[in-house]
Amino acid sequence: MNDDARPDYDLAVVGAGPAGQAACLALPDGPRIVVIDEQLRPGGQILRQPPRAFSVRGWLEGAEYRRLKARLAAFESLESVEWLGGCSVLGAREAGEGWRLALSDGGGVREVTARRILIATGCYDMAVPLPGWTLPGAMSAGGVQAFVKSQMLAPGHRIAFAGSHPLQLLAADQLRKAGGTVAAVAFSQPFRRFVLKALGRPWTALTNLPRLMSVLLMGWRLRAAGVPIHFGRAPTAVEGRDRVQGLRLEDGAVVACDAAAFCFGFLPQSDLPRAMGLAVRPARPGGWKACHDAWMRASRPGAYVAGETTGVKGADAAAAEGALAGLAVAVDMGVLPLREAVRRAAPVRRARARALRFAALLEAVADPGPLPDRDLPADTIVCRCEDVTMGDLRAALAIGADAGGVKLATRCGMGVCQGRNCEHGLLALLGGVSTEPHGFTPRFPARPIRIGDLLAED
Amino acid sequence: MRSDGDVRRGAPLTLLVDGQAVAAFEGETIATAMLARDLLAFRLDRGGRPRGLFCNMGVCGECLVTVAHGSASPRRLRACLTPAADGMIVTTRPDERR
Amino acid sequence: MDGVDVLVIGAGLVGCAAACRLAQAGARVEILEAARPNAGASGANAGSLHFQLERRFLENGEALADQAASILGLNLLAIEEWRGLADELGPDIRVHMRGGLMVAETADEVAILERKVAREVQGGLASRMIDGDAARALAPGLSETVVAASHLEAEGHADPKALTLAFAAAAAARGVRLRQRCRVVAARPVRSGYRLTVETPDGPEDLTAPKILIAAGAWSARIGELFNLHLPLYPVALLMSATERTAPLLDPLIQHVGQRLSMKQAQAGNVLIGGGWPSRMRLDAAGRFDLDRPAEMLASSLRGNLAVAARVFPRVAELNLIRSWTGITAITADQLPLVGAIPQAPGVYVAAGGSAFTLGPTFARLLARRILDEPEERLEIFSPARFGHLNSFMGAADA
Repeated sequence: MNDDARPDYDLAVVGAGPAGQAACLALPDGPRIVVIDEQLRPGGQILRQPPRAFSVRGWLEGAEYRRLKARLAAFESLESVEWLGGCSVLGAREAGEGWRLALSDGGGVREVTARRILIATGCYDMAVPLPGWTLPGAMSAGGVQAFVKSQMLAPGHRIAFAGSHPLQLLAADQLRKAGGTVAAVAFSQPFRRFVLKALGRPWTALTNLPRLMSVLLMGWRLRAAGVPIHFGRAPTAVEGRDRVQGLRLEDGAVVACDAAAFCFGFLPQSDLPRAMGLAVRPARPGGWKACHDAWMRASRPGAYVAGETTGVKGADAAAAEGALAGLAVAVDMGVLPLREAVRRAAPVRRARARALRFAALLEAVADPGPLPDRDLPADTIVCRCEDVTMGDLRAALAIGADAGGVKLATRCGMGVCQGRNCEHGLLALLGGVSTEPHGFTPRFPARPIRIGDLLAED
Repeated sequence: MRSDGDVRRGAPLTLLVDGQAVAAFEGETIATAMLARDLLAFRLDRGGRPRGLFCNMGVCGECLVTVAHGSASPRRLRACLTPAADGMIVTTRPDERR
Repeated sequence: MDGVDVLVIGAGLVGCAAACRLAQAGARVEILEAARPNAGASGANAGSLHFQLERRFLENGEALADQAASILGLNLLAIEEWRGLADELGPDIRVHMRGGLMVAETADEVAILERKVAREVQGGLASRMIDGDAARALAPGLSETVVAASHLEAEGHADPKALTLAFAAAAAARGVRLRQRCRVVAARPVRSGYRLTVETPDGPEDLTAPKILIAAGAWSARIGELFNLHLPLYPVALLMSATERTAPLLDPLIQHVGQRLSMKQAQAGNVLIGGGWPSRMRLDAAGRFDLDRPAEMLASSLRGNLAVAARVFPRVAELNLIRSWTGITAITADQLPLVGAIPQAPGVYVAAGGSAFTLGPTFARLLARRILDEPEERLEIFSPARFGHLNSFMGAADA
């Protein structure tokens, strides 16, 4: 298809988590929609579904998941949506009257065109370098949780959790329920900091009391099951030879384990917005969040963003933003009067505001502080792809290089992940940034792609 | 450490990981099959040290392995996203020497 | 800034290398860099050491090809220069000179290649024609479609990013000050040479020196305007791609006589693919080419470039592409670099205009001699004097 022909779809939604689902559900019937996700089934990370070949009784029970699962079921029954699961978006560029996306399903590459594109790609675990964190068995808490949720697997015999984000209690609790053994859960911050941060936002804390209680309950359940929960004891190193054998904490104690899961917070997935030239801003605790107007329109015509790609904020806020984006697409397509969109948006905006207040509380509570530790041993790997160490970075920083200069001088960020695991750490070492050009330049392809597949694309 | 109880997995299958037969079930990813078998190393880094999977959601690239299946030529794929299939041949430490 | 003999504008390879050579000869030098070392083409090129005549010199007729052949003398010097650099600057610059092949797939291409080799041999270069099988023996995995190649043992590759930094470090060891985030915004002749106004994070500043070297790559023409000069340099945005690291696969540098291709396996294990496929430059607010923002990759260029690479060396198709990037360099109206003194502005020198990785260290060495008023004829063919007519009505104002 050439750039002038009618696009294949009215809307391409990238990401089938709460935001992408809500966008599709908010749209009236009619538009041709394609939804693309790297996972084979929709749900996003929060509802990372087991494969169709599995049948799981009592999957993700609990009040927190009920509404999410109802929305997912409604989304899966939509007939107006074409589902492209198991597809990575390599890049998207403006073409003719819309956007042209290059997709890979691992077996080949294809292109689709859409008049409009909604980026709802969520977030990913923030990598925090520590001595030994590249040992097999050390992984992100989100990764452990995904094994539990979607593959019914405990990725280790004794798994130690450590970090600053309360979500690790949920991940540990789910692991334990699935039959895994939790060696310990260690929080970097003292317990009183949680209390103080919560007291700093008393109204939000009060209105979200059931949620806060459920977190405490998880902690209590883990304790009751004999899992040590530590506060004020940050992880300082992963111990082991060729694989994880222990997790060292601040006071020198070593938790014996064969896997370690880290939970310091999350970064927005920003590869596509940045590569598409959409405006982004620095996010906390790191990364880049896509900018948008009140209707989730991004900075270029025909592009929308919703959910955690615009800042980490939880599933409820993500779903609200997805719904707003869906309404905006309908208005911009001319299939929904603005007045009606405004009316439908009102309760969504209230829900979003509520959710954002809780997200702000959670962000304050989970604040990992300045990371990575500037005093990490020189041989600690920071850029996992290229084996660039803290010592390499210190040497490059000493000659006054900026992020791009450090990249060229050390290869930090030049590997397969394109800096997703190291850019935020490097920028933190540089003393923080205010605008995007200070980071790495995002490059095509957003995911590695076999050259033969690119060439065979029709 | 597959959890048992409330789950029924897909049909059993066998893949070869670095020449070793690894039993798995339909619906499992290559990563799951390997971890369930206590195979933790997905590649060697530039210093020759083993590396494990990190993010399990397609972001980090640590689990890129070489996958050959059927008559198709081998591909470098993320083990965390790629479903295991019967007869699949997975190589974790092919090419990196430097 | 009192006591500086030469102000070098630009901390790319040429600027840093020239500063190093000038300082080694005893000059007091300061480098003014608008951004940081390697910010432009020096940090974006793929590091080919190509001493055979470039394909781009052969595709626009015999007259231009003959003229371009005059570059061969410099290439011979450059081979010697590169052989010495690894010893001088250390192993970090990853010099790998184990041969280069320029391949041909058709009879027409073979004919072009034969004429090219004849020109090269006449110019003293040790290139030779070999058949397809001999080429495949040197580069196992090379496609059966390759029917012949010209081979030059001295070719290869090095790490461009590391080279600039190595020269910068060597220059610093000789007392050269490198000022980053220091953009030249005005220049005027004064009795003692030129006074440059620079913008720095701490505010504007004036610097004076008897001699100025413009080594600002694609920005050089804009710097020229500050001196009331036309420098006929045209920015061009090129495309490069890198694969995932892989085991040793490809030893020589591969180029193609009939297609845009350069391909090599860098020391780190990535296969780097380029060869001059265009990208689209962005425009700034004033509607001029924006030299400060990365150019936009063209999907057609990426496919075209990768297709040639995979056809010539099929195993490339099995590798994952991990990154494609664009970089902005500059070419001149006659394709030859622009290196030397500018007659209309005594004391102002320029070194820009392409081929600056392979030839950059040699330009720097020779130009340093020229700037220090030593006899140096070998740069004559690159002299800005050849474009003197453009500056007949331009040049220095009154001091």
